[in-house]
Amino acid sequence: MTELLRANVLVNFAFYRRSRLLLAFMLVFLVLTALISLPPLFINSGVQSFNSLHEIFSTLNGFLLFLAGGLGLFIISSHLRNRSLKMVFTKPCSPALWLTSAFLSAVAVSFLLHCIVLGGAAALSLGWHLPVRAGLVFVSMDTFIASVGIIAYMMLLTTVAHPAIAVTFALIFNADLFYEFQRWTMAMIRSGNSSPALHALEKLVHYLYLLLPMVYAFGKKTEGIHNSLRVGHGDWKFVLYSAVYATVLSAFCYFVALFALQRKRHI
Amino acid sequence: MIIADNVHVHFRRGLLGKQVRALTGLSLEVREGDFFALVGQNGAGKSTAMYCFLGLLKPNSGKVQVLGRTPDLGSPLYEGVAYLPEEPHYHLYLTVEEATRYYASLYGKSIPTKSVDQALERLGMAQFKTLPLSKCSKGMKQKVGIAQCLIHETRLLFLDEPTRGLDPLMVREFRETLRDIHQRGATIVMNSHVLSEIEMLANRVAIIERGKVIVQDELRNLLTLDQELYSVAFEGNGVVPDYLTSIERLGNLVKGSIPKEKLYDFMDYTRISGLHLHECSLKKISLEDSFFKIIKGGGAPA
Repeated sequence: MTELLRANVLVNFAFYRRSRLLLAFMLVFLVLTALISLPPLFINSGVQSFNSLHEIFSTLNGFLLFLAGGLGLFIISSHLRNRSLKMVFTKPCSPALWLTSAFLSAVAVSFLLHCIVLGGAAALSLGWHLPVRAGLVFVSMDTFIASVGIIAYMMLLTTVAHPAIAVTFALIFNADLFYEFQRWTMAMIRSGNSSPALHALEKLVHYLYLLLPMVYAFGKKTEGIHNSLRVGHGDWKFVLYSAVYATVLSAFCYFVALFALQRKRHI
Repeated sequence: MIIADNVHVHFRRGLLGKQVRALTGLSLEVREGDFFALVGQNGAGKSTAMYCFLGLLKPNSGKVQVLGRTPDLGSPLYEGVAYLPEEPHYHLYLTVEEATRYYASLYGKSIPTKSVDQALERLGMAQFKTLPLSKCSKGMKQKVGIAQCLIHETRLLFLDEPTRGLDPLMVREFRETLRDIHQRGATIVMNSHVLSEIEMLANRVAIIERGKVIVQDELRNLLTLDQELYSVAFEGNGVVPDYLTSIERLGNLVKGSIPKEKLYDFMDYTRISGLHLHECSLKKISLEDSFFKIIKGGGAPA
């Protein structure tokens, strides 16, 4: 079992290392980040340096969230499209084990990239004579946990649908969008529109919002930390809550994806 | 080793596509030590049957048992099973060495580098170790697939159109490797269009037509199937019987064919004439002839 898991994880790492799509994706974001980072290098003000650090760090973390989706999407879609899984499942390696290895590999790559970004941010802080704030660690952990949820969600969507449909679904049907939609319907109701259709719509949007996974489960509570990079003692619990949320979401996505993978015709 | 009993498989191509009845009551048995060939026209159901044996497709009805168990994706029964797919559905981003190691390690055991090197050396792939599979020819990929059988003791090997797209030299090499694996005790189930190759390798054949096995027999029986002629060779200078046809004379040796019903007359003729008989055997036909005879006849001959 351990040997099987190890073999699959190593092969998945090779997949990530050699995926040209992921490489192109990373290069585009790195170039964009480099363009943002260039001007502050010539400015010698402490406030400006902090703002630049914050911007670079936020951009890179945002990029890592997108990349997490890519990590989950590519590993499933590539193997399903190439039909190479028939070489795996006709050996004593179950779909459950392969899916676990794919998930763990994606999470490990995501973790490594988060460590690099955090290390880079700490190095920049030191270079610009800024204190290395605990908020950097908090935001990195929070974003990494969000990435784990995104990886699992994208793996599920790619297992059940074509990658293009999966991406469209993930971009359109997300909790944030439905939250905004619900706010709009509630505002309409408060302004005096008592149409039963609007009430029904509000309920529907509310339940969809509850059903769909959130990127940052406690985004409202941690928004301030993300902006200021300052963490209070009581704030760390949100990392734990987010981790619990991501674990439950990942477990749900894993079992549904596994069910779909087992029912697929790998021919 | 493999038992398929009245297996039916039907599926839709796409969400609203037409329903395909791939297998319509397929029944066959593969015995231990067989080199078993599945033969049939395109779309007859050969690959579908193989997918059922491998657990890649679940039958809608009927029973499939491989090594005494129902095949399921990634189940422990595959510990002694290897499969080479028709198309190069390998992990193309891996190198030859990485892929060989990976496929071998999927059997759940740690693979020493020496074993991988030895297998690649034996298949003449040692110099291509670092070549990505995406840049390998089909023959090279097939060798990567076959390397796992050399690293592990394979009990049952499935081959789906293994020599399709290979050059003649590669086909010959591949054939030798298969013979070697078979001689080491593996049961081989092969699915191929190349009947001459099946004739060279297989000992048992199943002919599939429209999702059903219409004939399953020893190859030697199929090669003498429904034959009406005997080949004879005897020494004689005189008059030959009028029922002897296709006559060839080599010195005083006469070769020819006689109808089945004239066999005893011919025996009397040689005995009475005191002729020395060199050969008298039921004339063999090629598997191809046999195949067409069966397909055109719509089933096994009586």
